[in-house]
Amino acid sequence: MAMDNRPFDAALFPEGCERGPLKPFMIWMGAMSVILLIGLYAAFLVLSRGLGMTALDDYFGFGLWITFDLGVIALGAGAFFTGFLRYILNIDPLKNIINLAVIIGFICYTGAMIILVLDIGQPVRAWFGYWHANVHSMLTEVIFCITCYCIVLIIEYIPIILEQKQINKQPLLHALAHNLHVVMPLFAGMGAFLSTFHQGSLGGMYGVLFGRPYAFRDGFFIWPWTFFLFVLSAAASGPMLTVLIASLMEKMTGRKLVSYDVKALMGKIAGTMLLVYLVFKILDTGAWVFSVAPRSGLTFSDFFYGWIYGKWLLFAEIVLCGIIPCFMLLSKSMRANPTLLYAAGLLDCAGITINRYVMTVQTLAMPSLPFDSWATYNPNWVEWAACGLVLAYGAMLLSLSYRYLPIFPQEAQLNGGGPVH
Amino acid sequence: MSAKKEFNVKWGMAIDLDKCTGCGACMVACQAENNLAPQADASNKLRVMNWLVVFELSNNKAFPDHETAYLPRPCQQCAEQPCATVCPVVATERNEEGGIVSQIYPRCIGCRYCMAACPYHARYFNWFDPIWPKGMEKSLTPDVSTRPRGVVEKCSFCHHRFMKAKDKIRAKGGEVYVRGVDNKMHCAVPEDGYVTSCAEACPNGAIVFGDLNNPDHTVSKLVRGNADAFRLLERLGTDTAVYYISKREWVRRLGDNYVPDEETQKPRQILPKKH
Amino acid sequence: MGLDRRTFIKFAAGAGAGVMLTPIPWKLLDDSAIWTQNWPWIPSLEDGENTYVYAFSKSDPSIVPIQVRKVNGRPVRILPVPGHPLGGGVSALSAAEAQMLHSPARLRRPLLRGQDGKLQEISWPQASNVLLDEIRKAGAKTAFISGDENSSVIEVISALAGALGSGDVYLMPSDAQDAAVAASLAGIGARIGYDLESSDHVLALGANILENWGTVMRNRRIFKNARPHSFRKAGEKQGAGAASLFLAYAGPLQTNTAAVADLWLPLYPGTESVLALGIAHLLLAAGKTCAADDFDAFREFVAGFTPEKTAGITGVDAAKLKQEVEKLLAAKSPLVIVGSEFGSGAGAVPVLAGLAVNALLGNVNKPGGLSLLPKSAPAFTEAASREDIHKKSLIRFLAAQEKPALLLIHDANPVYALPDPRKIREAIQAVPFKVAFNSFMDETAALCDLILPADMGLERMDDVETPYGSGKASYCISAPATKAQAGVLNAGNTLLQTARRLDKALGFNTYEDVLKSKAAQYGKVGFDDLAAGVPALSEEKATVSSFSFKADILKQAPAAEAGGGALRLAPYVRMSLGTAVTGIPPYNNKTLRADELDGTLMSVMLNRATAVKHKVAAGDKVVLEAGGKKITAKVRIFEGVMNDTAGVCLGFGHSEFDEFSKNKGHNVMELMSALPEPGTGLDLWCRTGVDIKKA
Repeated sequence: MAMDNRPFDAALFPEGCERGPLKPFMIWMGAMSVILLIGLYAAFLVLSRGLGMTALDDYFGFGLWITFDLGVIALGAGAFFTGFLRYILNIDPLKNIINLAVIIGFICYTGAMIILVLDIGQPVRAWFGYWHANVHSMLTEVIFCITCYCIVLIIEYIPIILEQKQINKQPLLHALAHNLHVVMPLFAGMGAFLSTFHQGSLGGMYGVLFGRPYAFRDGFFIWPWTFFLFVLSAAASGPMLTVLIASLMEKMTGRKLVSYDVKALMGKIAGTMLLVYLVFKILDTGAWVFSVAPRSGLTFSDFFYGWIYGKWLLFAEIVLCGIIPCFMLLSKSMRANPTLLYAAGLLDCAGITINRYVMTVQTLAMPSLPFDSWATYNPNWVEWAACGLVLAYGAMLLSLSYRYLPIFPQEAQLNGGGPVH
Repeated sequence: MSAKKEFNVKWGMAIDLDKCTGCGACMVACQAENNLAPQADASNKLRVMNWLVVFELSNNKAFPDHETAYLPRPCQQCAEQPCATVCPVVATERNEEGGIVSQIYPRCIGCRYCMAACPYHARYFNWFDPIWPKGMEKSLTPDVSTRPRGVVEKCSFCHHRFMKAKDKIRAKGGEVYVRGVDNKMHCAVPEDGYVTSCAEACPNGAIVFGDLNNPDHTVSKLVRGNADAFRLLERLGTDTAVYYISKREWVRRLGDNYVPDEETQKPRQILPKKH
Repeated sequence: MGLDRRTFIKFAAGAGAGVMLTPIPWKLLDDSAIWTQNWPWIPSLEDGENTYVYAFSKSDPSIVPIQVRKVNGRPVRILPVPGHPLGGGVSALSAAEAQMLHSPARLRRPLLRGQDGKLQEISWPQASNVLLDEIRKAGAKTAFISGDENSSVIEVISALAGALGSGDVYLMPSDAQDAAVAASLAGIGARIGYDLESSDHVLALGANILENWGTVMRNRRIFKNARPHSFRKAGEKQGAGAASLFLAYAGPLQTNTAAVADLWLPLYPGTESVLALGIAHLLLAAGKTCAADDFDAFREFVAGFTPEKTAGITGVDAAKLKQEVEKLLAAKSPLVIVGSEFGSGAGAVPVLAGLAVNALLGNVNKPGGLSLLPKSAPAFTEAASREDIHKKSLIRFLAAQEKPALLLIHDANPVYALPDPRKIREAIQAVPFKVAFNSFMDETAALCDLILPADMGLERMDDVETPYGSGKASYCISAPATKAQAGVLNAGNTLLQTARRLDKALGFNTYEDVLKSKAAQYGKVGFDDLAAGVPALSEEKATVSSFSFKADILKQAPAAEAGGGALRLAPYVRMSLGTAVTGIPPYNNKTLRADELDGTLMSVMLNRATAVKHKVAAGDKVVLEAGGKKITAKVRIFEGVMNDTAGVCLGFGHSEFDEFSKNKGHNVMELMSALPEPGTGLDLWCRTGVDIKKA
């Protein structure tokens, strides 16, 4: 069945798609495995000796890992938001990128779960979040929604796996895949609901910290404004990460995977969401400076310190990585230029990551007691290695998915010269 | 987010900063009483487990006009806790007569959200398992369980001493809570029948402990209507049970954040009461 | 029937569902909550009967009467004895004494240096025999050093020395020594005491009375009682409840005492005696006088100490000095306490100058003034008195060419605690045979040829007799709170037994008998009551037949130059960091503040103006150099430091003890050198000039 010049594993490739030789693929996977193993060693150190192996301390109970979790969860929002647009609002062209969005979402959320297992001091007690739930805690909502949404992502990922050429030959699994596809709008809806809430609750986690004026925000009913800002910012950046990863995969494989109009459409959607987000973010920043600060007895400059926690971060977050990419994404001509679209996407994702970073780290670095001083935090190799573990795991899962699963409906046509749907 | 709980008895402290010399006896007494493990390198303060920390305050004037003061900081036992409301597993709550914010070590999952929430830095995480030098475990008290790595802990106002004091009354067949002359319910434990280890140790009598709601208790007399008494970060509305006393205005001003033209202890605005 | 895939899956699914219906997974889940709390490597608690014993903290020289809480006989907590005349609270050092019993630095077996130069464990009978042999060999050439000036062991030591024909018994330098020598020079045949209880104005010069000078727990209790909590009604400027004690403190650093004092007079390190003379000048100018042999000579000499000249030497603002003297004059019962800034090294002159000031204030033997306390009689007829022992300088003895044949060091760590430790180390190393009788492996023990592990204060019966700083003569017994750990013995008993084996029995079989004999002098309280924690107090005051200002000695004193160097060194003591004998106890290093120690680097405190002047900035790693000796430190800007002065904390730089003491900063004593104090027989190391430069 295999042609002489086709790789050994060609029988597993998606229908009508060519993949590179096995050896470079294995070398790539091997390289990722090294990063994965270093990360596993770091994880072993943390689980066997304690969180003292990290650079976290009693002032920075949250650090790189929580920033990383919040970052990947925001950027992984492509899955829920694209799913919402595709299945609920029926924006049809998005079907060409939804599979990738789901896999990225799956990687981001499971990756976040891996980090969380390391980050909580008593992972064996993780189930207490359900058993002894405190309904007043935003974190309880996060625990519920993230674990539930993780299940939704698994359910969304399963049909993609089942569509694998060989697996799909099994009639039962074929039928299962088909039926799952039929009910997918239901899961997309559930995903959108769960995701909205936990994105929001992650923001709410910071907004409710009334002892930490850097993070504290007023809000609507029980939800601080950060609740809504986190939802919006996730929707504004998630689609762009999907686009960026699709484009990166194209660069790495040398194959066209998603038609540019789909990417541009994602860019337009992200730009629109970014605009909505920025309007509220700027209003929120105003309220923060002119209301939260004086009510806490602080002035604007009290929120910043030196270079490490300087005002440039705020400028970078809102202007450089907010207003500028927003303008770029909403401009049709700029969106039409791939370089500018990707640059805007990078800036967009960077802006949201800065937001998650400052909300986590700067919040804690700022002295809360008047006689205390700024503390600084610099993650150590153990923390970076654990993040590397997740990135390597993501890269490997994505590589396998690309090689063996039919993720990109347009791929065959784009590369075979056939019509593009 | 949850409604503030009021109790008949509200254990509290008045710490006289004009008396504290910063000697550290309270810190050591606290460690020994509550079975905190020693640490060989205690120079990184952000990794040192201390339920009670003495901060050094400065009036920020140049020599020779400089003044210094010391501020012992136990858990402030807030009535509006930033910490307990955020704990996802109810490992910490203020739910018992006396108003002490509990910390349930076997319940804590070690997420450290409470630490991020507490503006007083009163919460500490067990970054490693506690280790006592060989044989030193013989000097542990039987009153406070040892904590494993991965959980958060904090000052409990020596809650075990409160339990013991109540047991003493019950053993004699007495009622723990009795109606006082003011027709309110008070704790029958005598004023000196329950004091924290730090208050007991302090050679300068800088820490006064008692029931803030009991008009007969020194602590309540000291803080009611005393313009020299203040609490830390009062404008956040945490409603703490730890008061500080100083006749020095610069010390009182360091109790809270103020925008430059605000008068000490008279903030123009505060954060909303309802959190 | 074969097991095909389908049946296998069915079986597995069925088994899985079945297990979920049993309590097993749920019980395991529930148990996880319990066993994540109770790992086997985390010590579990042991409950038992609570008992309490009254004792003294013998580790803490600041005189702390304590109540030891025991559970099943194990000491677990050190609690205060608020009603005790010497008590109040507990100190940071004594608070963890129960834990110190199990310190990793604790000596638990006698050690003998072998042929290879290494210490080897030996048995107690072997150790006793070695000791006996060495004493027999050395005979009258046996010298003794003790670090415990408050208990009767020093009398046992002195008696043994007497029996051997040796006069070489030394106590470690201390404020008590300086005061004893000053009293003797001034012709007062009594101990100097301070009636703080009744004073309404205390001026402490150098003496950090709320941290490490004198009867600290008592001082602090008096401070506590004299200073009601501030209570001010809204709208009022002044609060109610005025303090019945005004506290002024003069010293180079804003110490713990200065932090709560009403007045801080910053001065250059080691210039307290000059400030006292400046005060005497103003008192004389105000018409104060007193009966003294050399009054006229003194008046003539002090005439030179105008406030301006005093200010020039001490750095104390002349106007502020005048104000303070006016307050002293206006006070009902003023008291001036002069002591060393860091517990030793100031010499007798400051105390002598303090005696002069108090005499001029007319407060001697008056309520709230300077008290003259009767000396106690030694239990041994042939033993030298504590005062006589104090008169001899240990530093001069160690510096002498002629070395003893045998040196027995008890409860002291001279290699760490004396100035210029390298010199002291060399001097001790030159002694042919050295014996340490210690509880912990310290820097001195590490040099010795024989190390005898001593019991700790909580493990023995001991006494405390009129500690320096007291207002009254007193005698207290410290009862043993627990039986001694295996392998350690009592120094008093061991020395008495050694004497018997040398056929030089000292008249007592046990150390307890010595204490009983001492107690008998304080007849009112029986021994059993004393052992149960009741203190014996004497209201008796000594009268003075003659008094001399010693103007001739004072005249040589005001050498105020810092001995070269751009900065003057101001060491300070934090009792929470332990003593030379205890090292930094395991429970105590957490009391270090963030800016006092950065990893292994200690801080040097400068005020900003001084830092700018000497071109260093906060956080700079610098080298402090004095007389070719160097230490490294990190600059901390602290405005509570005198100009051109560098504040450094003592208690760091241990090379022995355990991980709680080692690898932390430097021993500041390394920068200091002892100079003879003219006319007193003592030595000075309170004025050290240092250079500072970036490392």
